[in-house]
Amino acid sequence: MQAAIGVPETSGSRRPGLLGWLLMTPMLLWLAAFVIAPTLILLVYSFCQRDDLGQVVYAFTWENYERIFFDPDTGKFGSTYLTVFLRSILYAGLTTVICLVVGYPVAWFIGRAPEGRRNLLLTLVMIPFWTSFLIRTYAWITILSTNGLLNSFLVDYTRLIAEPFEMLYTPGAVVLGLVYSYLPFLILPVYGSVEKLDNSLVEAAFDLGAGPVRAFQKVILPLTQPGIVAGILLVFIPSLGMFAITQLMGGGTEPTIGEVIQNQFLQARDWPFGAALGMTIVLLFAVVFWCTSRRQNALEN
Amino acid sequence: MKTTRLLVALALLVTALPTYGQAKKKQVLNLFCWSEYVPQSVIDGFTKETGIKVNVENYASNEEMLSKLLAGGSNYDLVQPSEYTVEALIKVDKLEPLNFEAIPNIKNIDPKYMKLPFDPEGKYSVPWMVGTVGIVVNTAKVKTPITGYKDVFDGTHKRRIVVLNDAREIVTWALATVGVSANDLTPENLEKAKPILANWLPQVKVYDSDSPKTALLNGDVDLGIVWSGEAAILWKKNKKFTYVLPAEGAHQFIDSLAIPKGAPNKENAEKFINYILKPEVSVLVSEDFPYTNPNAEAVKLLKPEQRANPASYPTGEPKLETFKDIGKAAKDIDVLVTDLKAAKKKK
Amino acid sequence: MTAAPSAPSRFRLPSGMALVNALCAGWSGLVFLFLYIPIILLVVYSFNKSEMSVEWGGFTFEWYEKLWNNGPLIEAAKNSLIIAACTTVLAVILGTIGAWLLYRYKFPALRSLSTLVFIPMVIPEVIMGVSLLIFFAVISAPLNEWLATFTELEFQRGFLTVIIAHTTFCFPFVLVAVQARLFGVDPHLEEAAMDLGAPPIKAFWLVMVPYLLPAIISSALMSFTLSMDEYIVTVFVNGPQSQTLPQKVFGLAKKGLDPSLNALSTVFVVATAAAVVLADRVRKLNR
Repeated sequence: MQAAIGVPETSGSRRPGLLGWLLMTPMLLWLAAFVIAPTLILLVYSFCQRDDLGQVVYAFTWENYERIFFDPDTGKFGSTYLTVFLRSILYAGLTTVICLVVGYPVAWFIGRAPEGRRNLLLTLVMIPFWTSFLIRTYAWITILSTNGLLNSFLVDYTRLIAEPFEMLYTPGAVVLGLVYSYLPFLILPVYGSVEKLDNSLVEAAFDLGAGPVRAFQKVILPLTQPGIVAGILLVFIPSLGMFAITQLMGGGTEPTIGEVIQNQFLQARDWPFGAALGMTIVLLFAVVFWCTSRRQNALEN
Repeated sequence: MKTTRLLVALALLVTALPTYGQAKKKQVLNLFCWSEYVPQSVIDGFTKETGIKVNVENYASNEEMLSKLLAGGSNYDLVQPSEYTVEALIKVDKLEPLNFEAIPNIKNIDPKYMKLPFDPEGKYSVPWMVGTVGIVVNTAKVKTPITGYKDVFDGTHKRRIVVLNDAREIVTWALATVGVSANDLTPENLEKAKPILANWLPQVKVYDSDSPKTALLNGDVDLGIVWSGEAAILWKKNKKFTYVLPAEGAHQFIDSLAIPKGAPNKENAEKFINYILKPEVSVLVSEDFPYTNPNAEAVKLLKPEQRANPASYPTGEPKLETFKDIGKAAKDIDVLVTDLKAAKKKK
Repeated sequence: MTAAPSAPSRFRLPSGMALVNALCAGWSGLVFLFLYIPIILLVVYSFNKSEMSVEWGGFTFEWYEKLWNNGPLIEAAKNSLIIAACTTVLAVILGTIGAWLLYRYKFPALRSLSTLVFIPMVIPEVIMGVSLLIFFAVISAPLNEWLATFTELEFQRGFLTVIIAHTTFCFPFVLVAVQARLFGVDPHLEEAAMDLGAPPIKAFWLVMVPYLLPAIISSALMSFTLSMDEYIVTVFVNGPQSQTLPQKVFGLAKKGLDPSLNALSTVFVVATAAAVVLADRVRKLNR
């Protein structure tokens, strides 16, 4: 089974005719102007030095990339930035796993709902996200803070605990915030796969004597894999760059890679270094993506 | 059905595009200022009096403003930099000298806020609001006396502290405790700050430059090193939040108005500056943002309660220092603080 | 005559799965509750008399009044809606056509193309914002010179640049979603239509689009949401005349969130819920 993102299985492997190229041109132009050109600019910047104001000085240097990978004092491999990067990956990974576990059943439910209901349910999932991100996060802060609603409920109203429980500004709060923000990004793609699941296949599995667990493992899971993979990517990658939640709900005590990059442009005045950090992330993913799609192609052939 | 939807969508597209060409004929002022730092009442009043339309764009940090200003491609008439940014802009010749003939109300400004080191000739900037960075104490929870940074970080308030998420501020506080000036950020001095901060940072629960008062109000922290405006708002809400200027020395910041080079509507900008220097207008600003008002005439018009606010108008002879532009050292500071924050082991 | 051959077999819950489906339904209920707790809070607190604190101070409409009078905030909301609408339209067009073309034809350097499309989703927002800022700054001078030769219009940071930026990171989502839907599609679907005499574009329109509609709709929803809530990239590419809602809200947050923002959120939620119900009714009428 193929990943959702990757080289598509072409229906006839046709080479594009004039019409094909014509239709493709807008997208190509768009990519060239607004993706390739800015990325190239940044690539150039990442090899530059900075002046007092933090703007780029066109003088070639490796030092930005060196700083990312090597400790400046000892010269060995491993630096603060790698640590920060790893921690961000950890949080993003945890968020993704939780979103998957929490969100898959929801996507299943919506995908198997009667046809008229499905769009309604989907929209219901999205509505909370049409309120502003900041306001939603502050709402959580109101709930979780020491003088907040949850604590008032526990301490004053139900007297379940004596002292307020410190929930905010902890890693748990950060994960909660992240899961809350990215859940729809998992539900939507998985729903896409579930929705087009051919029911007869599932029925066939049962007719052949498989229990629910087996049916899931052997039939449903593989068939919904494109959606799952898309969902994982759509949660993991953005949550890597996210820093607002770690700051607002985690207190900002543990820097994330997103925050560090932000700092380079908005505090440290070191645009070239910021560009280098950004480029590293982009290149990392481009490479991973390139390799996996190559493997998919190899599997096909 | 579907084609009509497409057509409607395209129509939407087309109508949105021409809007970027407007507003070229009327008299306008392109104001680039801190988020919510210029009250709407001031802007409306200005438009009413002069007929000039004000386009407002906001930024959340000096560096953001610098980035957009220096990148080019936009026409700002008025910016609102903090003092060290004014200095940086003067250094790269990005500010227009002000024509004080057009700004007679400049006489209302208290002279002690003009011609400071960041703009020695006073040619390029006019003070908007003055403030300090100091210590807020929730006296309901903290019973011991707090006089300075050392008291805050003496270990008894571990994880009950909020500080600004600003590397330069943090390093400055550490250096103040060993008698080093805020503007003397040599590598040797930064080395001195390292062990101090290694001790201090694990005690901090929240880093927040945007709204540190939230953590204090919510009871998640009891002490904070914050902007005086935040402290003033807290005091207005509840007098239990007192404000202390650290004995070791505090940062006094001056946010100013300045005109970027090449501003298309320079005269309108100067009119605006003159307008806000009027005492009755300046009072409106103080209403919304209880920082220290540098307009001596306006201060006379303030209510007694506003004058009594210890965060807005601190008493005594505090040790204050304004920031100068530190150029390359900005990067070193960020590295220092990031390293320390990241290296902290989970408690 | 219906263009599409009959869809996969009608839904009929097979035995054994009934329990699983019931459990999923229950779980979904809990998840929806989780999603809506802050929203319910916002709605309730928009009527709370006491500012900035958790206690209930009494019922009041004053925050809605304040919101009504807050011109810049409402204008920012309008700007955001316009931008989000345009972005969604553009993203859907680019993404759907792109996905379909990638599926149908074997373009050279196909893998690089897919990787390129992927980049706006991966790139940290600050990086994207800064790079677009520089890009727009670089092209604005020569572009304006050229424009000045025949028109009054001028290229400035504003609606156009924001829409471009938003579309750039939204259309990959559409593309990915539509691609996912295209996998395993019956290739004979289109060929059947074309054998019956329809030209390729009509075949696409009448056959493919209905099939792809769920993916298009869900990714359109996502695009709209992303655009409405986008802050950082917008900060870098925006201009003074088109300040968006997130920009305004961020600024207000520094002063201290006052409940008129809760009122705004409530208005949004109610408006969207109403629109959804309305759309649902209209659809039922059309059947």
